[in-house]
Amino acid sequence: TAASSSTCSKAEAGEGDKTGEEDDKDDKAAQSLLNKLIRSNLVNTTNQVEVLQRDPNSPLYSVKSFEELRLKPQLLQGVYAMGFNRPSKIQENALPMMLAEPPQNLIAQSQSGTGKTAAFVLAMLSHVDPNNKFPQCLCVSPTYELALQTGKVIEQMGKYYSEVKLVYAIRGNKLQRGTQLQEQIVIGTPGTMLDWCLKFKFIDPKKIKVFVLDEADVMIATQGHQDQSLRIQRMLNKQCQMLLFSATFEETVWNFAQRMVPDPNIIKLKREEETLDTIKQYYVLCNSKEEKFMALCNIYGAITIAQAMIFCHTRKTAGWLAGELSREGHQVALLSGEMQVEQRACVIDRFRDGKEKVLVTTNVCARGIDVEQVSVVINFDLPVDRDGNPDNETYLHRIGRTGRFGKRGLAINMVDSKFSMNVLNKIQDHFNKKIEKLDTDDLDEIEKIAS
Amino acid sequence: QKKGLQTKAEDTTLKWYQELQVSANQCAQSFEGLNNTKDLQTKKLRMELQKAATIPVSQISSISGSKLREIFDKIDKLLSGRPVVSGGKSVSISQHPNGLDFVSYKLAEKFVKQGEEEVASHHEAAFPIAVVASGLWELHPKVGDLILAHLHKKCPYAVPHYPPMKDGTSVEEYQKILGYRVEDGGVEAQDSFLKRMSGMIRLYAALIQLRWPYGSKQGPDPHGLNHGWRWLAQMLNMEPLADVTATLLFDFLEVCGNALMKQYQVQFWKLILLIQEEYLPRIEAITSEGQAGSVTRLKQFLQSSLRSRQILPPKGQLSAHFWRS
Amino acid sequence: VETAVTGGAVGGLFTPQSELTADELKEFESKRFTLGQIPLRPPPAGMLVV
Ligand SMILES: Nc1ncnc2c1ncn2[C@@H]1O[C@H](COP(=O)(O)OP(=O)(O)O)[C@@H](O)[C@H]1O
Repeated sequence: TAASSSTCSKAEAGEGDKTGEEDDKDDKAAQSLLNKLIRSNLVNTTNQVEVLQRDPNSPLYSVKSFEELRLKPQLLQGVYAMGFNRPSKIQENALPMMLAEPPQNLIAQSQSGTGKTAAFVLAMLSHVDPNNKFPQCLCVSPTYELALQTGKVIEQMGKYYSEVKLVYAIRGNKLQRGTQLQEQIVIGTPGTMLDWCLKFKFIDPKKIKVFVLDEADVMIATQGHQDQSLRIQRMLNKQCQMLLFSATFEETVWNFAQRMVPDPNIIKLKREEETLDTIKQYYVLCNSKEEKFMALCNIYGAITIAQAMIFCHTRKTAGWLAGELSREGHQVALLSGEMQVEQRACVIDRFRDGKEKVLVTTNVCARGIDVEQVSVVINFDLPVDRDGNPDNETYLHRIGRTGRFGKRGLAINMVDSKFSMNVLNKIQDHFNKKIEKLDTDDLDEIEKIAS
Repeated sequence: QKKGLQTKAEDTTLKWYQELQVSANQCAQSFEGLNNTKDLQTKKLRMELQKAATIPVSQISSISGSKLREIFDKIDKLLSGRPVVSGGKSVSISQHPNGLDFVSYKLAEKFVKQGEEEVASHHEAAFPIAVVASGLWELHPKVGDLILAHLHKKCPYAVPHYPPMKDGTSVEEYQKILGYRVEDGGVEAQDSFLKRMSGMIRLYAALIQLRWPYGSKQGPDPHGLNHGWRWLAQMLNMEPLADVTATLLFDFLEVCGNALMKQYQVQFWKLILLIQEEYLPRIEAITSEGQAGSVTRLKQFLQSSLRSRQILPPKGQLSAHFWRS
Repeated sequence: VETAVTGGAVGGLFTPQSELTADELKEFESKRFTLGQIPLRPPPAGMLVV
């Protein structure tokens, strides 16, 4: 069927039974990874940053440009080479705190895609003394894949700062006993990192200047990670700068954060409400899935769709649709539920690379994926829950956008029965926002909706 | 004899730009009947023609050379008046007297939109899109002119042309002429504007250096590197614009600097040296705080090029290996 | 299909030396270009190396 399955090789078969809890963690870490992979842009936010200073009397600094930070020239160059022009909202406040002398501790929370990783990578690189050939910064991440993503950012930003070296403390990276690490930055998962500090003594924790804990909310979802992280933290000096980041801030995360980070400054950026205000919503009346497919082709002919995501209710429909689309010559990727994380990551990677330009998926497996990057979302089937009731939350998540001046979005719903018309009407009522009818046989009409 | 930098493009450039616009408008007028038809049958035909032209363009990707050939052949067939099958239906431009004009116009428009939307967020997409466009241009020169006309309209910097503000033009209207998107919410953010302009300039820079590998190779390049020279020379003869000039020079040089260097050798290095020593300081003089990103990227590019006496081939260029896939 | 609009002042990949104006020739011959005076036509094929 679809092109992707042939090029994203099947991962090893499942590794036996999983407890529900593990599944859950897996889901969180996987979602976080897939979102990182599909993203090529900052998420737009208009919400105000909330800042709680440890010392309320000290002046509050925020910067509007990277120059104001007085970075090492090699680093400023690295930042600009990544295509950045100015600090993101959270970076405006977080960077001056992280780069201050003496160092300040920070707990920061904002949704994924707002520039946290870039910020703490810059902080680590700034605090390193490249002349000292031993570890000075530790960064712990929930999974190997996530650690790798952060490592890539370090390499990009440090492109003009080649004296600084990086090593991964992850399972499978076996070092000889007695090794003394020369690299200034160590990034890895909590278990291996703890072993390297405690059991193997590859790292001298007393020499660490910056300790970063990334994705705290994903971290605490894994048994043992919390404890391991705390044990690493206990081995560090009092003067070591502690930085903790999280996309969400439930009670449990907050408790963990306070144990990890003494005397913190706190920065919070409220999650932007997903809204349908910036979205143009339409529905198309059809009689069968074949007709839905034809309507889809007509839409493709009339408007420029850089990349589209199409949601189907079942795996079977998704497979069928992907097949039909490829027969018409489209490059289609199929993301489906039975795939392993690695495979899903591979499919998303190719999609982001533009190898495939249409992503067909089922609701279950695309839950949590940020679609903000794609210009058009098509509900080939409307989202319903197990009982066949309209699933408003999923509808909002699939097509809702954040940031009022963010990208304009377009959502098209396919309706093929009284039942689905009814679902559509209920969704429309729920959000109190009109979903317009679209005649896909009328070129002018389709063209109009795109302008 | 003019002295120093100019504020507008040379007359020959502007004349060329205007001729292209006039000819594109004439083309649009020629199929107005088809566009405004009330006849259902004709309406259907228009839809099928448009789909046959634009869907293949949206399918261009770097997946394989053979796939790209298929897409190319399909569009070429359509433009040559042979029937093509799209969505199970057969359609041909010979079914309407203005079929060719209509299809050429829509096709050109689609290529430019693809640059604006796709290349903007994914730079490497410029190469497969440009190579197909270049091949069609060679066989169907009219399509090439229409691509240029659409490109110039959406991104005047591709001419390059800095439209002056005329008396009586509203600010909003003027922003649109400069390429900004203006909606009820106001004008788009500078970063978003720059990103779209980058996409279109990158597409243009890829176009002028690429040639369809299965073409005749005999005749002259339909729109070759001489236009790269012209564009660069014309840009550098004009006063820079803050943020825009640095961004677009960098985009352009990153994509076709290597090809220009090979083609024009010492004369090209004279351009690079001029940018480094005289033009860059002019850009810096008009750069305000917060706009340093684009200038830094350009500066870095020039320095490393001059140091290594090399300009690296662009990332995403289609290799010989690609064409065997 | 009508004939294509020719590209402004630009002809081929190189400009024959005999077609250059005196000013253009001077620019291509000298070690440096003068700011604002770069010829829009590409250099002659014979003037690419020093
Ligand atoms: N100041 C900035 N300007 C432009 N893009 C940025 C900036 N900071 C980060 N980005 C980009 O935005 C995306 C999200 O940033 P990231 O640091 O990964 O966010 P988070 O860690 O909060 O998920 C990445 O593609 C990153 O390269």
